[in-house]
Amino acid sequence: MSASTSEIFEILRYKELLRNLVTRDIKVRYKRSVLGFFWVMLNPLLMMLVMSMVFSSLFKVTTPNYTSYLLSGIIFWNFFSQSTSTSVVSLISNSGLIKKIYIPKAIFPLSVVLSAVVNFFFSLVPLFFIIYMTGTPLGSHVYLLPVILVLVAVFSFGIALILSTLTVFFHDTIYIYDVLLMIWMYMTPIFYPESIIPQKFSFIIHLNPFYYYLSIFRGALYLDVSSVFEKLLYGFLFSLASLTVGWFCYSANKDKIVYHL
Amino acid sequence: MIEINDVCVRYRLAKEKPKTLQEYLIDRLKGKRHDYEDFWALRDLNIGVRKDETFGIVGRNGAGKSTLLKVIAGVLRPTSGRVSVHGKIAPLIELGAGFDPELTGAENIYLNASILGLSRSEIKERFPSIVDFSELNEFIYSPLKSYSSGMVARLGFSIATEVDPDILIIDEILSVGDKQFVTKCNERMRLFREKGTTMLLVSHNLVEIAEICSTVLWMDHGGAKMCGEPKTVIDEYVKSLT
Repeated sequence: MSASTSEIFEILRYKELLRNLVTRDIKVRYKRSVLGFFWVMLNPLLMMLVMSMVFSSLFKVTTPNYTSYLLSGIIFWNFFSQSTSTSVVSLISNSGLIKKIYIPKAIFPLSVVLSAVVNFFFSLVPLFFIIYMTGTPLGSHVYLLPVILVLVAVFSFGIALILSTLTVFFHDTIYIYDVLLMIWMYMTPIFYPESIIPQKFSFIIHLNPFYYYLSIFRGALYLDVSSVFEKLLYGFLFSLASLTVGWFCYSANKDKIVYHL
Repeated sequence: MIEINDVCVRYRLAKEKPKTLQEYLIDRLKGKRHDYEDFWALRDLNIGVRKDETFGIVGRNGAGKSTLLKVIAGVLRPTSGRVSVHGKIAPLIELGAGFDPELTGAENIYLNASILGLSRSEIKERFPSIVDFSELNEFIYSPLKSYSSGMVARLGFSIATEVDPDILIIDEILSVGDKQFVTKCNERMRLFREKGTTMLLVSHNLVEIAEICSTVLWMDHGGAKMCGEPKTVIDEYVKSLT
């Protein structure tokens, strides 16, 4: 335990590096494009446009404020999928550095998750714009927004630790996770309403951590979600579990990582 | 300053390494064991480096020189033995690592110096002298991808040395840049020596090693073959090569 707590202090000591990694990520991502950083906001809007054209006739009747429902689902999912799928390669793509200099290695998946947080903040702009334009009334749980963001970021970091460590030993993780992520997306009520899931399959959704996060997120924004605090508790437990497993998985293997890069 | 006691480093080279997760799981289910071949990159190495020493390491390829540097830098945890290092270490990173080609030279200074563990204010303070020493003045706000390799190397050297480390690790460099810059680098290395900075140097340039080092270690098959006064060690090493 002492070794893994000292690693946490090490990360704090390298906070300037963490800052620079996050800003690099954000600067480099859109550097060569004309619209640059606007893509962070444009991308979910365009996705929403396409999906709402495809699905609105299906779900519009059953789902009130379908555009807000859809966009909130998209940007929230984007945060998770971007942070975890980018972090899969975060250790192996920095192998040049890890092999040369001592750096607390967990800083790489952490920086990926944090830069996704920054992107997420920017994508809130079009979301609030759409909520405002469509006249969706804001909910009474807006104060939960920062809470749910912390929970989902911690959850993502735990997953990111597991994935990035696993990838060092098995490159296949990259491709396996791609598929898992797609299945996971379809199993989460992002573009379809929860109500269309048949009763006998509803246990699947209750096993899905992301279902709780997304419900709370929508509940914080505008939707009246039933038993928010119960969901919050589940969300908290999932985040804790993910962080614990992730940190354990990383700590147990961190000295072996260099040998396999 | 650096104390290495009975250090061993073992690389496990799997004879039949399972390449993928599926293969691994299938092999596990079949109860197949993997044969490993152990390669000892360092065996029972004992060395001590005093402060203000310039410590040269020579040896043939595969003798364990780079592994030793990695152990000292804290990158590799040895399989057994004890390593204690006191002071801030700055390795001269080889070309490319730690730099991002899309970022400007200035942004790369911040990135690279923070990799070496500097705080923001420390980097700000040293920024002008880094730029000055690298002679990149008018290019410092251009993206790194537009630099020549000599320019990148100059920037790397400037950052690593401006960090003011207690221990400087140099793995085969000083062949970069034009003659004038090499002279400047050597001048700076001399300053470091006078200031009492510990330096670890791996090089195949025996003339250079003999000239600047105060102690030389000759490594062979992961162990210390000979350690001591530069001229004696290098003479013996050269004899063994012929």
